[in-house]
Amino acid sequence: MVKLTIDQVPAEVHEGMTILEAAASAGIVIPTMCFHDGCTNHPSCMICLVKEIERDQLVPSCAMPVADGMNILTNSDEVREARKDALELLLSDHVGDCEAPCRVSCPAFMDIPLMNRLVAAGDFDRALAIVREEIALPLVLGYICPAPCEKACKRKPMDAAVSICLLKRATAVHCEGSCIPTGQADWNGKRIAVIGTGPAGLSAAYYLLLSGYACVLFDAREKAGGMMRYSIPDEVLPKEVLDAEILAIARMGGEFRMNTTISRDYFQEVILPGYDAIILATGHREQDPGTIFGLPPDKTGSFIDRKDLSTGVPGVFACGNIIREQKMAVQSVAHGKAAAIGVIRYIENTGGRLAQQKNKQDAGPSMSEGLKRHSVSVTGHLFEPEWQEYLQESILDHRVEPAGGKSAGFTRGEAMHEAKRCLHCDCRKPVSCKLRMYADEYGAQRRKFAGPDRRRLSRSMQHETVVYETEKCIRCGLCIEIAEQHGEVTGLTFAGRGFDVRITIPFNETIREALQKAAADCVQSCPTGALAFKTAEERNK
Amino acid sequence: MEFSDQQSAGKVDLVVSRHGKSADAVIPILQELQETFNYLPVAALKRVCETTEITPSAISGISTFYTQFRHQPAGKHRIRVCTGTACHVKGALFVYEAFRRELKLKESEDTDAEMRFTIEKVACLGCCTLAPVVRVDEVTYGHVEPGNVGGLLRDFLSRNKHDTVVNNPASTRSGFQGEVRIGLGSCCVASGSSEVKAELEKTLAASGILVDVQQVGCVGICNQVPIMEILKPGEQPAYYAKIRPEEVREVLLSHFRPEGWVNRFRSRFYNIFDQMVANGAPKSFRKYMAEQRDTPLSDFLGPQVNIATENRGVTNPVDFEGYRRTGGFESLRRCLERMTPQQVVDEITGSGLRGRGGAGFPTGRKWQMVRDQQATEKTVICNGDEGDPGAFMDRMLLESYPFRIIEGMLIAGYAAGASQGIFYIRAEYPLAMLRIGEALDICRANGIAGTSVLGSDFTFNIRIFGGAGAFVCGEETALIASVEGKRGLPRMRPPYPVEKGLWDKPTLINNTETLSLVPWIIRHGAPAFSAIGTAGSKGTKVFALAGKVRRGGLIEVPMGITIRQIVEEIGGGIAGNKTFKAVQIGGPSGGCLPASAAGMAIDFEALKEAGTMMGSGGLIVLDESDCMVDIAHYFLSFTQNQSCGRCTFCRIGTRRMLGLLDKIRSGRGVREDLDILEKLAHSTARGSICGLGKTAPNPVLTTLHYFREEYEAHLQGHCPSGKCLPLIRYEVGEGCIGCTKCAQRCPSGAIDFKPYEVHSIDPEKCIKCDICRQICPEDAISVK
Repeated sequence: MVKLTIDQVPAEVHEGMTILEAAASAGIVIPTMCFHDGCTNHPSCMICLVKEIERDQLVPSCAMPVADGMNILTNSDEVREARKDALELLLSDHVGDCEAPCRVSCPAFMDIPLMNRLVAAGDFDRALAIVREEIALPLVLGYICPAPCEKACKRKPMDAAVSICLLKRATAVHCEGSCIPTGQADWNGKRIAVIGTGPAGLSAAYYLLLSGYACVLFDAREKAGGMMRYSIPDEVLPKEVLDAEILAIARMGGEFRMNTTISRDYFQEVILPGYDAIILATGHREQDPGTIFGLPPDKTGSFIDRKDLSTGVPGVFACGNIIREQKMAVQSVAHGKAAAIGVIRYIENTGGRLAQQKNKQDAGPSMSEGLKRHSVSVTGHLFEPEWQEYLQESILDHRVEPAGGKSAGFTRGEAMHEAKRCLHCDCRKPVSCKLRMYADEYGAQRRKFAGPDRRRLSRSMQHETVVYETEKCIRCGLCIEIAEQHGEVTGLTFAGRGFDVRITIPFNETIREALQKAAADCVQSCPTGALAFKTAEERNK
Repeated sequence: MEFSDQQSAGKVDLVVSRHGKSADAVIPILQELQETFNYLPVAALKRVCETTEITPSAISGISTFYTQFRHQPAGKHRIRVCTGTACHVKGALFVYEAFRRELKLKESEDTDAEMRFTIEKVACLGCCTLAPVVRVDEVTYGHVEPGNVGGLLRDFLSRNKHDTVVNNPASTRSGFQGEVRIGLGSCCVASGSSEVKAELEKTLAASGILVDVQQVGCVGICNQVPIMEILKPGEQPAYYAKIRPEEVREVLLSHFRPEGWVNRFRSRFYNIFDQMVANGAPKSFRKYMAEQRDTPLSDFLGPQVNIATENRGVTNPVDFEGYRRTGGFESLRRCLERMTPQQVVDEITGSGLRGRGGAGFPTGRKWQMVRDQQATEKTVICNGDEGDPGAFMDRMLLESYPFRIIEGMLIAGYAAGASQGIFYIRAEYPLAMLRIGEALDICRANGIAGTSVLGSDFTFNIRIFGGAGAFVCGEETALIASVEGKRGLPRMRPPYPVEKGLWDKPTLINNTETLSLVPWIIRHGAPAFSAIGTAGSKGTKVFALAGKVRRGGLIEVPMGITIRQIVEEIGGGIAGNKTFKAVQIGGPSGGCLPASAAGMAIDFEALKEAGTMMGSGGLIVLDESDCMVDIAHYFLSFTQNQSCGRCTFCRIGTRRMLGLLDKIRSGRGVREDLDILEKLAHSTARGSICGLGKTAPNPVLTTLHYFREEYEAHLQGHCPSGKCLPLIRYEVGEGCIGCTKCAQRCPSGAIDFKPYEVHSIDPEKCIKCDICRQICPEDAISVK
């Protein structure tokens, strides 16, 4: 047995163990990427570095055997900094997009590429479900969204962006199921007041209703819809489209109380005591929420915390243009969902009924929480020779214009054809990619050590089930070893040396030739999205 | 792709049959395939996989790892442009670019359209004193000017090619009047010593003078070569430095009388005739007598202590009897007959000898560790994978003293309880491989290597393994991987090779120079060795002294000598009225020390303290015209290129540091870049697993430490030494006499000229090739 100290705790482990194993036996998890049980584990990625105090050195714990008297730190500042450096170096040489740029640029972070793929496959129902995960009003936004996603589309410089906005509308138009989403939870006994029925209020109510909350929506006007009804001309957004979507929310149980102006007193005396939580979505107002509703300002004089959408009164949240005037309805819709999540968390944590003390942890979601993992790796614009790589998964055809004009939208067939133009530039392993996971955890900056030039990406598609993208590889070589273990005849190999080393297929054979037996194991052991299943749809919600 | 002809497949099969079918035969097989086909055709590689245990994955991985291997056909002749440190500081890149222009090569090409020449950069040809140096096939050209590379190639093509390294078996004739020694190390040959030797033999044959011509190994005095030494009974030895072939006869006749009256008469006649013709022509050579003081020769040799290079310039490298006469194999005999292995280890431990490969691990302790291993099969490896730019000590030792190193290895084997030895020598050192091979044959024939060494019951078999060109294979675990037929990747230590080395058996790896010191230590005893040097570093160290000193060469000096002594006393100070600025010591793993640190006594600890290291012993002297950012960039681009690519920090970190240096060199750097550079340097040193990655940042860190103001100047868009091309421009000054020489040579037509008027350079067209500045007879072209 070997005696050593790990993170100041004495441990006794078997001789021949690595530091990584010894730490695991003491319940300490050290991050790894290139490590894989059953392989030789020749260290490469250096994410598992730990500090050996006696010899004042950093060692890769996955390969360093324990020795008597070792004193190891697995999570000191120095160790974390070194791991961050390693991650930043790897990111500087990692070409690929964790998320498609369309999704990143969508204020609601809608999973556009997946919607496209489902539409292309003719599965409009599931496509609509994907849209509704983030967007409560797919039909309305299918008319009025300015589509920042299309400006970011990787396809744009080639010919034209994928017609995302119309595709979104098509999911709602051509779905075969009900216009009410499936899977609505039973009432949980909680009642929420939503003040305002514009895009933010409707969106908040939608997600609350879906989660089993009762919602009462107040609005000073005669009809619901806010600026969507009163500021947008009919030829842009036909009223029946808006009505249909409001009707859907009503059918989900939303109780609309129109022509109801909420005064300060009414708010304080009726609404506040009467509901488990309140969402303010009144839209832009001349006066501040303190004056209107009697909310207390914080130290800096503001009434709403823009990060978590909470206010000075526990259980009261705000969203939409009341916070800041925004141009895009899609931003308000995204805000509405965030406020709904804030309410849900608040109630789950406090039991509702407007707790007396405001506790930060019980407040809402951080606005950046859902979005912060967007841009761990971003490719930027494609170089012309790279178009071909992405077009392998797409079609070369021009953007489809609806035969009946834009107002008519896509027919089912048009939508399916247009959706096929999507390049699938989003990563197939957005969740299981360890590089992304740790880069996120360690706060690694992708541009920190950026080189003057990025590598040209490539995508090998010849294999039936597997895609290989060289430039997402961190050169750990696990796949080479696993292919060898499976007795692959051709297998994979390291080619070159130093910075230019890469994993290739011997004699310029194809990936199909290389991985006849080991493909699945190689994909599963690959720490990044370099090797992935073609049809993988890991969801990063 | 399949072979279209049976013949090619047959060739492959023949190669395979010579090296066996096991997986570890892959490197020798690839080396021979390349010799056969001039490159590695895919069909040949496939054939190997079909007929051996070597897998496609292995053969692809290995053949793309080592620089020796080519996957595209090469031209008929190879142009190797030395980019070693000495050549770099003397403008090797200008030369390289000039060849590329001459051959009209496009960016990614290395071979001209007619497939006549393939050009490549090599780390060091080991002729640092002739810098810049270019080798075309076997012919070496020194002091190459970028303006005349076309002439060089024409000269090469018109040459009646003959083997420039000729082996002359020791003569057995009697009745000699004396002995003439001529150095035939690689660098001597490059400076023309084989022509001198040819002339010498011609003269001897014609005159009938009977002298013993001894070709000796490296003479070390590279700055004075070709050098001819004449020994005559009753006379002081005389040295003729920088002698030219046409001067040989005159020198010879001034020492020796031709045999027979006819010859004597004829010689006298020709002599008179020659003097009539050549009267007034200045003689290029200098004559120095052995005991004469204050000559460049005595200054150069005086402070040196020859242990590894004992009998320098005296012995013929493969003269077995000669080696024996000077005490050779006495130490081995003493060990075998009068010492137990443990006593041998103790003797080495007591001598204080430390590994000369760079890190300075105590040799005795290493031997003890291997000796203590309970294993039946142990191996000794002589690490001759010297790959530093600007260092060629190992090659010189292997070429010049093969028996001494073999003896050292045998003693190590006996002490450690090993039964086999391997010489790991870079394939780029053909002469070293040849000499060791010859010496091994002689040893085997004389019962010195093989079963029952010197009649004892000690059995030790030695073979040679040709490295295939990867600097990282100097690292011991990478070296082992390469001998096992793998990509040369260093692995984690522990376990150390002394415990688990070649094929997981205990393995003793010693540097060439370390082994070469062993026989002397046994012969003279540990105290004699430890009497030399400093408290922590005993004995001597061989350095390749080059750069901006007057006298460069291979020197062996006692530890503890100061940098100033080396530069000023041995090297004769800085050449050309420039000021001493810095020394780069230890090659790519070492660092730059400023002139102000020249008082430092050289030993392992002192160098480490100063941020550099002994390394393998390159010592390049720099003057004010050398830019320290450029030097850091130079070394980092070397290590970056030689990284095995395994660890993140070394693979990407060195490249990113190089990118930052590029940015700074081109004047685009910002202050923050210096911080990131420094941070990356530290994390790369901390986070890499092998010596290459751990020390690669040293050149950057030392220059940042000692010469930070130069980096700062570059941030301001100014290169104080006028070296960084993007920051400089060429201008014609007042001194221009309008001779048009520069304009005629300018490859880009950038010089506007009218005869007898001051020319001017168009900065838009100027490609900064430096040709005009070098060609200008009036030194009127300056760099701003």
